[in-house]
Amino acid sequence: MDTGFWILQFLNALQFSFLLFLLSVGLTVIFGLMHFVNLAHGALYAFGAYVAASVAASYGYWAGVFVAPFAVAVLGLVLYQFLIKRMRSSGPMAQVLVTFGLMFALLDLTRIIWGDLALALDVPASLSGRISIFGVEYPLYRFFVMMVGAIALIMLNLILARTQIGAMIRAGVDNDKMASCLGINVERLFFIVFCVGCALAGIAGAVAAPLLSVVPEMGLEILIPTLIVIVIGGLGSLKGAITGSLIYGFVQTFGAVFAPQFASVVIYVLLALILITKPNGLFPSRGG
Amino acid sequence: MFYQTSTRTFMLITFTLICIYVAFTADYFGLEILTEILILAMIAMALDMVAGFGGMVSLCHGALAGVGAYAYAVCTAKLGWNVPLSIVLTCCFTGVIAWIIGAVCSRTHGIYFIMATLAFGQMAYSFVFESAYLGGDNGLSGIPRLDLSAINIDLFDSRNFALVCLFALFCCYLFAWRILSSGLGRSLVGLMYSEQRSLAIGQNVSRIKAHVFGLSGLILGLAGSLGAQHIMFISPNLLMWTYSGEVLVVTILGGLGTLFGPIVGAAAFILLKHQVSEYTNYWHLAVGIILIAVVMGGAKGLYGSLEAYIEQRLRSRSSTSTNVISEEE
Amino acid sequence: MLEVAKLSKHFGALHVTRDVTINVKKGERRVILGPNGAGKTTLFNQLVGVFSPDSGTIKIDGKDVTNWSVEERAKHGLSRSYQQNTLFDGLKIGENLALAASVNTGHSMSMWRDSLTTPDVMAIVRDTAAQVDLTHHLDKYVTDVSYGIRRQLEVGLALATQPSVLLMDEPTSGVGPKMIHAFHHVLKRLPSELTIVIIEHDMSLAFDVADSMTVLNQGEVVFEGSPDEAKSSRLLQEIYLGTWEDA
Repeated sequence: MDTGFWILQFLNALQFSFLLFLLSVGLTVIFGLMHFVNLAHGALYAFGAYVAASVAASYGYWAGVFVAPFAVAVLGLVLYQFLIKRMRSSGPMAQVLVTFGLMFALLDLTRIIWGDLALALDVPASLSGRISIFGVEYPLYRFFVMMVGAIALIMLNLILARTQIGAMIRAGVDNDKMASCLGINVERLFFIVFCVGCALAGIAGAVAAPLLSVVPEMGLEILIPTLIVIVIGGLGSLKGAITGSLIYGFVQTFGAVFAPQFASVVIYVLLALILITKPNGLFPSRGG
Repeated sequence: MFYQTSTRTFMLITFTLICIYVAFTADYFGLEILTEILILAMIAMALDMVAGFGGMVSLCHGALAGVGAYAYAVCTAKLGWNVPLSIVLTCCFTGVIAWIIGAVCSRTHGIYFIMATLAFGQMAYSFVFESAYLGGDNGLSGIPRLDLSAINIDLFDSRNFALVCLFALFCCYLFAWRILSSGLGRSLVGLMYSEQRSLAIGQNVSRIKAHVFGLSGLILGLAGSLGAQHIMFISPNLLMWTYSGEVLVVTILGGLGTLFGPIVGAAAFILLKHQVSEYTNYWHLAVGIILIAVVMGGAKGLYGSLEAYIEQRLRSRSSTSTNVISEEE
Repeated sequence: MLEVAKLSKHFGALHVTRDVTINVKKGERRVILGPNGAGKTTLFNQLVGVFSPDSGTIKIDGKDVTNWSVEERAKHGLSRSYQQNTLFDGLKIGENLALAASVNTGHSMSMWRDSLTTPDVMAIVRDTAAQVDLTHHLDKYVTDVSYGIRRQLEVGLALATQPSVLLMDEPTSGVGPKMIHAFHHVLKRLPSELTIVIIEHDMSLAFDVADSMTVLNQGEVVFEGSPDEAKSSRLLQEIYLGTWEDA
C-alpha cells in the first residue's frame, strides 16, 4: 500500500478523533466539575443534528450549524433547572439511572417531533470538493470537521489556562467546597459549564450530520465511544479528553485496516488493560 | 445483610402459586408473557446479587445473558451437542466470562465501574455482531428446546415450558439465597459498606467481587439458555447495552437489595410494556419517565417500599425503650 | 515485633516522614505523641500499607512487609483502628465484629457456611464484645447507637481479627472523660502478648498506659524513652505549649 493510503487513514483517524473530542470534552468537564455523569449526552448530540438538519432545510447549512448549539444549550438549561440540579448530590447509580431514563425519553421525543425516517443534511457548496494535504486529495468537509475540533481544543485550553473563569473552573474541579468558600459562585459555574458542554455536543451533532445519517439512534451509537474515550483518558481533564479521543480514533481506524474482524474488540482489550493498570484513566483530574 | 425473612418466603410462595395458576388458566399469549417475565426475573435477580448486595452496578448483565444465549445456541444448533450438557456448559462458560469481567473491573469504583461494565457488554455485542459464524445481525435460528419426552413432558407446549422456567427461577432464588447467606456473601455486603475496612481486616476484596460476579454469571447462563430456547431464535440485540439498562431499571423498579424485588420488577415491567405498547409506539418515553420518577422518589422500588414499611412497623413494635443516648456525658 | 527502619516519605516538597526508626518489642505498649501535623497518622498509613514509603523498611514479626498490600499485612497479624470511625455502617454491631472475626477463622470466602453463625466466629464475637463492653449492643444497628459506642466498635473491629500487632489512631478521639476512663480499663485487660502502638492526645491516658513513648515532630523522631523520662524532658516541654499536669 502506498503512502497515499496511509495518509488517508491518518487523516480519517484524526477527523474521527476530533469529532469524538467535541463530544467527550463536554461530558468529561461536566463530570470533573460537577461529579455528574450524563448518559443523555449522546441524545443531546442527536438533538443538535436534528435541529441543524431541520433549520438547514429552510435556511441553509450555515444557519443550521449556527442555531444547533444554541438550541441544545437551551435544552440543557431546561434539563439543568428541572432535573440535573436535584441529582447533583446523588450517588453515581442514581445519576446513571436518571440520565439513562432521560436518554430514553429524549430518544422518543426526537421520534415524536421528527418522525422515524432519517433526515439528511448536505455538505454546503462552499465546503464540498477536495483539498490537497500531504499530497493526498482529502474531502474538504472532513478537513473542516477537524478544524472545528482543533479550534475547540485550542480555545478551551486557552480559556482554562489563561482566563479567570478558567481558573475558577479548575479550582472547582479540584475542590468545589473550598472554591465556594473562596467566594466563587460554584453553582453558577456549574450551570455555565453544563450549558457550554451541551452546546459543544450540539456543534458535534450539527457538524457530523452531513457525514452520517440523522436517525434517532445516533445518540445511542455515539455514547459508548464517548464513554470509552473519557474512561481511557481520565475523567475531568482536557488532556484526558484529547488523548482518549486520539487513542480511540486511531485504534479504530487502523484496527479496521489491519484486522477488520477484531477492530471493535481491540479497543475494548485496550480499555481492559488500562482499567487494570490505571483504574482512573490516563490523566484524571484528581490524581491517579 | 441478606436474611430470608418470613415476608420474603411468603411472597416467594405466593408468587409461585400465582404463576402456577396463570400457567394453567392463561391462553398462549398469556403464557408467552409469563415466560418472558420469568426469564427477565432471573436476570434481574442475578443483577441484584452484585448490585444490591455488593454495590457493583453492572450494565453488562443483559449482555452476559445474551452471551449465555449464544453459547447455548452454538453448542446445540451449531455443534449439535445434547441439550442438558449444553445447558451446563453454557452456565459454566457465562460464569467464567462474568468472573473475568468482575476481576478486571474490581479495582474500579462508582461511575468508572458502571462504564467499564458497559464497555465490556458492548465488546460482546460487537464481537457477536461482526461474527459471520454467529450469524452476524441476522442472528441464529434452529435452537432446540430441552427434550423431556423420556418423562412424558413435551416442552414445545408453552405451558410446560413456562413451568420449567418457573422451576428454574425458583432454583436460582435458592442458589442466590445460599450464596448471599454464606461467608462470601457476608463479606460482599461488608465491602459494599466499607471497602476500606474490609481491606483493613484482611479481606481479598478483588477476589470477593470476582467470585460473586462469576456466581451471578451462572444464573445468567441459565437464563440465557432458557431465553434462547423460548423463542428458538437469537440476535445480537440481546447484547445491546440498552437491554442491560432495562435490566437495571427492572431491578430498581422492584427494589434493589431485596432479592425478591427484581421478580416483582420484572412482572411490573413486562406487563406495563405490553399495556403501553397497545396505546402508543413510544414505549421508551414511558420507561424514561417511570425510571426518573422512581429514582427521584427515593428509589426503593415497589417491593422494596413494601418491605421497608413492614420492617419499620416491626421495629417500632418490638423495640423496648432502650436509652440510646450514651451513659457517658 | 514491629521494626521500622529509616522510614521516609515526602509529598512533593513536604517531608512527612523523615528517617523514622522505631522498634517495638512483643507485648510492649508504645504511645506515639506529637503535635498536630507531626506525621503520626501518615506513619500509621505507611505501616498499614495505605501509602508506600519512599525509603526504609517495615518488619512485622521478622517478616519484611514493606511491599505488602493492606490486606496481606492484615492477614499477617497487623490490625488498625482509625481516628475517624470506619465501620460497616448499615449493619449491626454483632455483624461488624463477625465480619472481622471471619477472616482468620477462614470463613470469609466460604460459599457454603454462613460466617455469621459458625461457632468459631460467634465465640470470637462474644469475647471481643466482652473486651470492649459491647455485649449488650450486639443486636443494634451501628446507625442507632451513640458515638461513644461506635468508637468502642472501632476498637472492637481491630481486635476481632485477633492481631499480633495493634495500631490505634487516637482511640479516644471525640469521647468524654468517663469513656476515656472506661477505655483505659479496656486497654489494661488486653492480652499481654499483644503488641500495641497508640497515637494519643490525652496525656493522662498516655502516661498511664505506656511502657515507652516515641515523640514525633515534623516527621522526625525527637524523643524515645520511658514515660518518666518524657515527663522530665525539657525538649518535650518546649515542643508542646506549656506542660501537662501530673495525673
